[in-house]
Amino acid sequence: MNASAWNMLLEGAWTTVWISAVSIAIGVVAGLVIALIRLARIPIIDQLLVLYISVARATPLVTLALFIFLSAPDLGLDLNRSVAGILALTLNTTAFNAEIWRSAFRNFSREQSEAAMAIGMTPWVTFRRIMLPQMVITSLPGLVNEMSFLIKGSPAIAVIGIVDLTRVTNRISAVTYEPLPPILVAGALYMAIIGCLVWLQRLAERRANRLAM
Amino acid sequence: MSEANTSETAAVSIRHLSKSFDDVEVLRDVELEVKTGEVVTIIGSSGSGKSTLLRCINWLEKPDRGSIHIAGQRIGVHDDGRPMPVRELAKVRAQTGMVFQGFNLWPHLNVLHNVTEAPIHVQGKSKREAEELATALLEKVGMSQKHDSYPNTLSGGQKQRVAIARALAMQPAVMLFDEPTSALDPELVGEVLAVIKDLSAEGYTMVMVTHEMAFARAVSDQVVFLEKGLIIERADPETFFTTPKTDRVRKFLENHDTPSSA
Amino acid sequence: MSNWEILWDERAQFWSGFLSTLEIFGLSIMGAFVIGCGLLYLLEGSRKRLTTPLRIFIDGMRMLPFLILAYLLYYGLPSVGIRLDAWGAGVGALAVYHGCYFAEIFRGNRLTFPPGQIEAAQAHGFTKGKLFFRLLLPQIIMQTRPLLGNQLIYALKDTAFLVIITVGELTAAANSLSSTYFIPTEAFIVVIGFYWAISVTMEIIIKQCGRFSAKRGFDNV
Repeated sequence: MNASAWNMLLEGAWTTVWISAVSIAIGVVAGLVIALIRLARIPIIDQLLVLYISVARATPLVTLALFIFLSAPDLGLDLNRSVAGILALTLNTTAFNAEIWRSAFRNFSREQSEAAMAIGMTPWVTFRRIMLPQMVITSLPGLVNEMSFLIKGSPAIAVIGIVDLTRVTNRISAVTYEPLPPILVAGALYMAIIGCLVWLQRLAERRANRLAM
Repeated sequence: MSEANTSETAAVSIRHLSKSFDDVEVLRDVELEVKTGEVVTIIGSSGSGKSTLLRCINWLEKPDRGSIHIAGQRIGVHDDGRPMPVRELAKVRAQTGMVFQGFNLWPHLNVLHNVTEAPIHVQGKSKREAEELATALLEKVGMSQKHDSYPNTLSGGQKQRVAIARALAMQPAVMLFDEPTSALDPELVGEVLAVIKDLSAEGYTMVMVTHEMAFARAVSDQVVFLEKGLIIERADPETFFTTPKTDRVRKFLENHDTPSSA
Repeated sequence: MSNWEILWDERAQFWSGFLSTLEIFGLSIMGAFVIGCGLLYLLEGSRKRLTTPLRIFIDGMRMLPFLILAYLLYYGLPSVGIRLDAWGAGVGALAVYHGCYFAEIFRGNRLTFPPGQIEAAQAHGFTKGKLFFRLLLPQIIMQTRPLLGNQLIYALKDTAFLVIITVGELTAAANSLSSTYFIPTEAFIVVIGFYWAISVTMEIIIKQCGRFSAKRGFDNV
């Protein structure tokens, strides 16, 4: 592989990383919002969210990406590829994150908030200072694990023509007629990215153990 | 019972308090007055309503009828029956410090920050001021070596002593102890009782639910016996433990360790 | 003619895509299951020369996207003289990839296995193979079934990646119908419905297995 092939691979890696990072950032927050809304148990809205989570978890990312990209014009939306890709990854990861956040809510003990209320905290301060920090710590290992899954699913956006770290190997071999080297390098780059997340997850787990009283 | 209206000066004043869970009456027309500097112990068998009574004082349980004043301020509802807005309720609650059976320390904060959390984020104290106060209180409960430890590394007795410091940090008008030693291994009970005893000697106002009879006798100014939600006996500790008026209390005391006047 | 009527007329295409997805999924998870059990058996041996590279292989697979493995088998292998068609490469990649996940799930459960049972079996003269197949494996499978169920759903979703290496399955059917008739929204809604139905069915089956397992007392060991 020559220098330009290496450059293309790094550009592909960058595309994978930034699109995934944006989707992760939106997905983590949106998952939290959905979990909070579900706490309120509003009829109809709650059922719709359950349906969304169930369908989104069962839909392959490839199918979702094609669906969003191809039917956006039908719905009068003008999405470029990157936005469609981010939307597909986000819709998918949000559903998983919502479940992770929700289980943290459910496992949060009443005694913890009682201790906060008894000392004179308002419900808002209790949420912000006591509940949310603990939920972040308990959810983080699961959230980071889901981030690894998102990276592993991200090659799906290649199907709508985004040149990510997987797709770029086709581009390179179209010129060099040697598909094996770029695929192996791409695999190594994925391992490096996901390796970082696995390491982060381990740190997060160690911190979460502190909460196990 | 003195019927004089002392609710302006009393640390806690409870009038006609009733509370039911579903259709079981757990508190029936309870009247209790705790003067500033006084230690009141609530005794009774399990299910007598003593924990509920304590939890009504800071409105963790909402009573059905009656009124509670903390240092002259009504808690939970206004005199015209309007429920208190959460901010106002939080302000009155800050006048009480509660120590729980299960400690309920916040596991995501270290010992020091467990104590400074409420002074900073409820009272708006500066970080420095809160930490000075916390350092002094942790010293008082014998935990000054553990500032940076997290709750999961502490023994039960240590956790409870930190929980006491946390409650004291708000400089409350009254301290509420809900069976503070029931969840402890027997050999750790002493260290927690010693701290509470020091507090009573320093003149803190306290209401305590406990099964430690000898301890109750040693520190209380007033002992209250609750049975099926009714206060059936109240007296100074000497009278209560040596010459109880009712058979029920006599039986109860026989079944518990007869306390020597420690 | 409404878009939905067009789709109804073309139902044969959906159906064959659906069957193709089911076939790929069924074959590959059977393969994955055998690979997972095989890896677990090999890991049982205490020879470090074998277990260390196996652990590295399993962990490595779990750090790769599935599509990279499919690319490797479909585009990469011909470079070393092995030529697979898209279908074979796809099923093979799915089986190996998810086989590694199965192996890791089994291994995690194996670590928590009480040693007393194994000692008891050894004391009764069980051979290594018998001990593995009659004692360890059935219990491990029953106890890990919720995790296996999750993994099956991931495997189902990964079958859709094969459209990228030109395998004609369910997503490919929607893709070709939507480009023939320009009705992507309806075509993909139908296909997503298919995937959802398969997932829900699998979840129900896993739950039923749970009842069976509880009855046999597998969960309390």
